[in-house]
Amino acid sequence: MVELLIRLKFTLGRHTTGGTRWLTVILLVGGTAATWFLAVAAASDAVRSNLLMLALAVWAGSWILGPTITNGVGVLRSQYFTLLPLDRNRVGMGLLVTMFVGFGPAMTLVSAAALAWHAYASDPATLFLGLLGMLALVVFSVSLGRLVFRALGAAMHSRIGMEIASVQWGLIVAGLFFGWVAVQPAFVAAGNLTEQGLGGTAATVLSVLPTSWPVLAVDAAASGSWAVAFAWLGAFASLTVVTVLVTGRLLAPSVSTRGVRRRSRPLGSRVLEGRRSWLPDTPLGAVVGKELRSWWRDPWRGLELRSALYAGLFIGLLGLLTDIPQVMLFSGVFAVLIMGMGGANMYGHDGTALWLTVVGQGRDTLREEVRGRQIAIAVLIAPLATLLSAAAIVVSGEYWAAPYVLACLLVFVGVSNGLAALLSVVTVTPGVDPHKRVDANDTGDNQTQVWIMMLAVPLLSSPTLAVLVWGAFQGSPWWSVPVALLNGVPVAWLLGRIAYRRLERRLPETFTRIRYGKEIARQSLPTNGGGLLDQLERGALATNEEIKPTGS
Amino acid sequence: MTSTEARKGDVPALELDALTKTFNETRAADGVSLAVPRGTMLGLVGPNGAGKTTSLSMAVGLLRPDSGTARVLGVDVWTDPVEAKRHLGVLPDGLSLPERLTAGELLDYWGRLRGLGRDLTRTRAKELLQVLELDRAERDGVLVAEYSTGMRKKIGLATALLHAPQVLVLDEPYEAVDPVSARVLTAILRRFTDGGGTVVISSHVMALVEQLTDRVSIIADGRVLADGTLGEVRGTDATLEDTFVRLVGAREVGEGDLAWLSS
Repeated sequence: MVELLIRLKFTLGRHTTGGTRWLTVILLVGGTAATWFLAVAAASDAVRSNLLMLALAVWAGSWILGPTITNGVGVLRSQYFTLLPLDRNRVGMGLLVTMFVGFGPAMTLVSAAALAWHAYASDPATLFLGLLGMLALVVFSVSLGRLVFRALGAAMHSRIGMEIASVQWGLIVAGLFFGWVAVQPAFVAAGNLTEQGLGGTAATVLSVLPTSWPVLAVDAAASGSWAVAFAWLGAFASLTVVTVLVTGRLLAPSVSTRGVRRRSRPLGSRVLEGRRSWLPDTPLGAVVGKELRSWWRDPWRGLELRSALYAGLFIGLLGLLTDIPQVMLFSGVFAVLIMGMGGANMYGHDGTALWLTVVGQGRDTLREEVRGRQIAIAVLIAPLATLLSAAAIVVSGEYWAAPYVLACLLVFVGVSNGLAALLSVVTVTPGVDPHKRVDANDTGDNQTQVWIMMLAVPLLSSPTLAVLVWGAFQGSPWWSVPVALLNGVPVAWLLGRIAYRRLERRLPETFTRIRYGKEIARQSLPTNGGGLLDQLERGALATNEEIKPTGS
Repeated sequence: MTSTEARKGDVPALELDALTKTFNETRAADGVSLAVPRGTMLGLVGPNGAGKTTSLSMAVGLLRPDSGTARVLGVDVWTDPVEAKRHLGVLPDGLSLPERLTAGELLDYWGRLRGLGRDLTRTRAKELLQVLELDRAERDGVLVAEYSTGMRKKIGLATALLHAPQVLVLDEPYEAVDPVSARVLTAILRRFTDGGGTVVISSHVMALVEQLTDRVSIIADGRVLADGTLGEVRGTDATLEDTFVRLVGAREVGEGDLAWLSS
């Protein structure tokens, strides 16, 4: 069965086009080279042991984060096998085995072989311990990666699970955007890493991590304590077995029902309806109501919103930890920016549900459709982000920051809102269709949107930022607040307008992109040239990964 | 020609005019032309992958044709989509909906987006949910995401009917629908055509089409092989299935084939 599954994996893989595959390959090769460099260049056995612990921890960490960040959804989904007359747990184990086939695991093995080298260099008699440790490390890292990924997917079916996933995702995002601040001191000290190793607290923390246990086993054996060596390796082997068993269980096809029968009305049903509805009886009111409910109730959308807030909070906390406490005051601003990125693929999020918009197209419905979405995001993020920053300012007593924070909030709420609407239309990238979603990153890939946002937000906010800097020097920072308003609102309005105009022109094409996949979508675009929007769309087609089964 | 003039004249309710679409060198629809008179029910039948969904998608504005066009009551779907879509009710097959709404909330959104206003939308939505037996799920606050396949068909049908269109295009409306609901669906469609409405349904089930519709089109490999009243298409064949098999061709199961099944 395993051989068949592996072949199926390759067959499916051949039909998937990947834009980020090369980046992944470069990172894997680079990581392997770095691991071996550290192992070979280390000045002594002790330093090598120390550096290997670091490298192996980074490898395990990459396995935990990698699949979630790179949309590396396993192409073999366990629900494909639900109906086969096979033991569910055997299918789960079979699927786990397929995870070990590929470039990533191969490079992990090559890197883990540095442990065998360490063993040989320390004392040739310990080589077999190094080899055993190497194999266990690969099995542990790959299984752990799948375990975390599936656990995150399973979490999407309960509110508390979604909350935990949001915290985790918020941490990842905060780490990606602001992690360099935390890592920087380590790198400053890293000039003579291969001479002295890490030392200090970092070394102590590292030596506790499970991925360090095989290294500790080799070290113990090399110093003659064979009993201790076997204890370390035995402990790691046991942990690996437990990880494999749990992962196999999680990968087994699930046969439980899709939804949980609720005991009360779904969230938000009372606020928006009834005789005295908050929303006007217009198409725009209808869209805002639908969007707000979807943001409140859809775990995948909830994940975007909550993780933006958590990421803002964690970036602030990272600032506190690394002696840049001012960052905390701007945590709401970061939340707004990250929410903008999360909202930049709304039509991809909704998948083929766009058909309703197509067949219900009225005189102004596309305008209302886009404007309603813009209003909903602003209503959701602006108050929460303001609260986050306001709380930080009040608690710290740093009231001088108020005009800066307010100006940034105003301009970024507007600019990122407009960009989110525009990119949602132009660079729409579908994921797994909403009613078939399982895993946390089954929504469409949005890396193109994230990169464009990072470039376009500062560019489009530059008038406010310029006045902010000028005001800071002049001692009159409040000037930037009205400028931010005059900058943010028109940009949101204008980009929203470009978005619905584009949708009006290319409504069936946008639906085709979602329904039939990127190959068919390419047919409707000029192969080169065209306007900026055509180029953006081609860019997204070339870069964003397709995680949707193609064809009809 | 405006829609009002068109409806006065003898214009087909739905007209597919030489619709052609090629996907990656595969011709999914090859000059599909059909004219559906007002007040009739047309069954579009064909083997899997024949181009039924592709043709219907082009007819309702979901997929832009490479060439050809479609008209609803004389209004061109591709040059005047807003006017054409006012008269159209559509039920596609297997697509998503705003999944995190209840059926009632979905219809409320849909009706108001279509400009029906809150009160009219609520009255119609309530009645539709009752007739389609979705009212209990609505009381329990069940979200569309939690619906079964058959229930999804029914709420999809409700969205197609809510604005009281004149032409209904339904892709596989009976699939996964239980027998009781199927009877309700048939009754709804009959009432609709009796009132002058026009229905196009696609289906694999010949017996259903034979029993339900008064016109039939057989489509295979993206081409229309036969089109007309049930009697015209069937000709001297005993059943529609015989006609279908004669036109489309079928692989007979020979004596020795699949012998292992009876072992």
